Order: sequence, then C-alpha cells, then structure tokens
Amino acid sequence: MSYIELNNIRKVFRKDDRETLAIDNISLSVDKEELVSILGPSGCGKTTILRMIAGLTDPTSGEVLVDGETVDGPGSDRGMVFQDFALFPWRSVRKNVEFGLEVKGISKKDITERVDRYLNLVGLENFADARVHELSGGMKQRVGIARAMVNGPKVVLMDEPFGALDAQTRNIMQAGLIRILEKTDQTIVFVTHSVDEALYLSDRIVILTKRPAKIKEIIEIPWPRPRDRASPEFTALRKRILTELEKENVMN
Amino acid sequence: MFGYTYDAENKWHRFGKLILVTAVSLTTLVYIWWILAIIIDTPAVPTPDLVWAAFNKLFAEGDIQTGLSMWEHMFASLKRFIGGFVLAFVIAVPLGLLIGYSKFLDEFTRPMIEFLKPIAPIAWAPVFIFATTLTLGPILVVFVGIFFPLLYNTIFGVKKIDPNLIDAARTLGANNGQVFYKVMLPCTTPFIMNGMRIGFGIGWMCIVAAEMIAPLGGGLGYFISLQSVLSNWPYVFVGLGVISVLGILTTGLVDYAYRTIAKRMGME
Repeated sequence: MSYIELNNIRKVFRKDDRETLAIDNISLSVDKEELVSILGPSGCGKTTILRMIAGLTDPTSGEVLVDGETVDGPGSDRGMVFQDFALFPWRSVRKNVEFGLEVKGISKKDITERVDRYLNLVGLENFADARVHELSGGMKQRVGIARAMVNGPKVVLMDEPFGALDAQTRNIMQAGLIRILEKTDQTIVFVTHSVDEALYLSDRIVILTKRPAKIKEIIEIPWPRPRDRASPEFTALRKRILTELEKENVMN
Repeated sequence: MFGYTYDAENKWHRFGKLILVTAVSLTTLVYIWWILAIIIDTPAVPTPDLVWAAFNKLFAEGDIQTGLSMWEHMFASLKRFIGGFVLAFVIAVPLGLLIGYSKFLDEFTRPMIEFLKPIAPIAWAPVFIFATTLTLGPILVVFVGIFFPLLYNTIFGVKKIDPNLIDAARTLGANNGQVFYKVMLPCTTPFIMNGMRIGFGIGWMCIVAAEMIAPLGGGLGYFISLQSVLSNWPYVFVGLGVISVLGILTTGLVDYAYRTIAKRMGME
C-alpha cells in the first residue's frame, strides 16, 4: 500500500519569458515506515520534489497524495528538516521544538511532556534552555529533527539535512537518525547528493537524471541497519551508483 | 611603572580603563573650552566656573523668567519627545510591516516616502505649529523625525526575513496570522529597534529645535532661546549641557535594548 504518491508530476519554472522544465513526469510511491532517498546531480530538482510533498510549491501538473489525500498547501502532517536548519533564533531549543504544538493550541503541560520526550530522543535534554546560536551545527540539526517529529507527522521530509555539516558530524548524525528510526518507525523522504549517505540510510534510492529530472532508476537496499560502509557489497553498489551519476554530470 | 599591569581580558580592568579615559577626555574638553573662552573673550562663551554656578542655581531655584526649575524644563521636553515617539511608533511599525509584506504597497508608497524623506523635520515646524497648536506642533516635528527611520528599518527588516523560517513555520502548521505574530514580528524586532536607535537621535534634535520656534510651557529649546535673547549666556550653556546628557541617556537606553535583543538572536 503506498502512503505517499506522486502522480505524473511536472514542474515548469517561468522567469521573464523563459520557461524551464525542471521536473518531467515523475511518478513515485513511498510506503509507510519507509525511508526513501532521492539522489541526483545538483540543481536537478530534488528539493523541488520535496517542497511539492510539503505543499510549499505547487506542481505545474500532476498531483501529490499523502495518506490518500491530495496535498494542497503545507500542513503539520508533513514535517520538514532544512539544510540550513531554519531554526527560530529568538527561541530557545525547547521553544523551537514546541513551535508546532504551540500553534496547534495544545495545553502547556502536554507540550512540555512531548517536547521532553523528543529532546531525549535526539539527545538534547541538557540543552533545552540553550539558545540556538550557542549550538554546534550537528546539535542545531538535531533540534530541527526533533521540531519536525514532535508533531507526529505522517512523513518527515529531509532536505539535505546533513549537507552543511562536516564529514565526521555527518556520520554521527546518520547513525543517530538510524537509532531514532528504530524507536519511531517514521516515514521519511530524504534528499541528498551523497551516495554514501543514501546507501547507509535508505530502504530505497531513487536516482534522478539531470534537468529536466526524470526517474533514472530505483534501487532497493535490502540490507539490515546499521550498515557497514566498508563491506564489499556496500562499496560495489556505491561504485555502480557513482558511475550512473557520472553520466548525469551537468558539466559534460 | 605603578606595579600594575593592564589586563584586557579582565572585565574590571576594562571598566576601570573606560572610566579613566572618559574622565580624562571630558576634563580635556572643559580645559579646551576654558582656554577658548578666555581667548575669544565674549560674554556669549562664558568660562566653566560661571556655568557651574548657573547650573547649581538653575537646578535648585530655576530661572526668574519662566519660574520653572531645570528639572521642569527637562520634563517638558521629555514629555513632548515621548509623545512624538509613541505617535511615530504606533504608525510607522504597523505601516512598515504592511509595506514590507506587500509588494504592491511597497511600489505604491515608495515615491511618496522618497519625496517626503529628505525634508528636514524642523522645516515642518512652522506648518505644524500653525496648523495645530503650540503644544501639538513640536510633538509632530518629533514624530516626523522618528517616523522615517523607523518606517525604513521596519520595511527593511520584513524584507530581510529568511524565507526558510516562514516555510518552516508553515510546515509546522502555522496559519497566516501565526506566521505573522510568531515569525515575521520577532524577525523584524531587531530592525525596528535599530530604527528606534536612529530615530531617537534625530527626534531629540527635533524637539529642542521645535521648542525654540514654539515657546510655550517651558522646555530646553525654549529655555535656551529665551536666555540667549536676555544674554544670560551661562544659563544657555547649562541648557546645552543638559541637552547632551539627556540625549545620551535616551539614545543609550534604546541602544542597550537593541544590543540585548540582537545578542539574544545571535546577531552579534
């Protein structure tokens, strides 16, 4: 049963008199509790696809369905994690995580309870009252993840969430995300340009072509998590995907 | 030399240095003034000792002409200043938020604002005083002085909002009203404070100037213009000093508030 469905999505961007076809007829379905990565050359429209599921951008034609309902504008059932964190700098860590519950009008006591649980989940219980600018990049994105998940969304959309972090922090965050998934069974659509990251995290990897984006290939990753990045099958598959992506290199 | 080394990392050392430098600087200013007063040798530039005597007399008794003490002149000016500021704030901030938000309003109001902005606020004084009253006129001059920097900074602040923050709020379930109150307003606050910081400096100059034109109910500008006509130059100099100190206090207050907020938001 497909939980998220993209049916014949096309997106045309118009600037002055020029029209650019960004996404050319993409159809994709994501199952419940699945983690699907979207991988493709930079500027190919990965983020646009994510924003269309979020309801922040409308498709030019085609439709997006989440849990059987057509997406029409953003809503708290589709949480989003941003590459540049997009945290509210005037709010403390706790207040950032509270935001979604606060706008829903949930009682103060229930908010505190839920927020505590999610701060624990991302390991920030000791930084609840810290200000955002006092945190490291990795900690900031943990706030971003907790903030998106505390609402109990049907899907969390992650837009290159670890792209702004250094290599070591990235690996730590990826392992952390897997630990969170063991506890929550969250459905996730994950945009990345790192083959390694996609292989380490995903149930399936969707590889896009260069602009206008079409689906080039969908690869199932059957291995259990956590995965060994140095295992022969991991390296072999990484090599194969990198070769595929090389053909889509926009510089050629 | 004194068995004491300055340590730039020590808060108290830095504070002590600041006090010392300030004291020496101001003392130097007094001496320059004193020497100039002796060289120029005119009653319009009295020596510091005469001004000090006038200072004590004015704060204790006041001047004979208006019957008001210096405190009362200060409060008269401050009252008008605050009136003009409040008026500017309640109009410029909501208007700036709207203009920053709406592309149409921005394009529509820009020519008007650009046309009105270069007019020195004090140039409006005769018009305002004649059109309204001697009480309201000076307040309106302050209003104009504070209005434009506040409006400009508010519009600028709205335009500087990171669109990702609005997207984040919307994916967290915020409706348009909540996006406005919980994201746009706090994002714009440091810019509004910056507008106030600039506006306070201009507004304070405006009130003194306007009072020189609209003599009613005391005030520092009125006091200076009256005493200069009567050639009470030491009194005039006390007035100048009080204007400076009050200006430092008013702008210092809003400057402090601005820095506190900017720091909380990680802007510094």
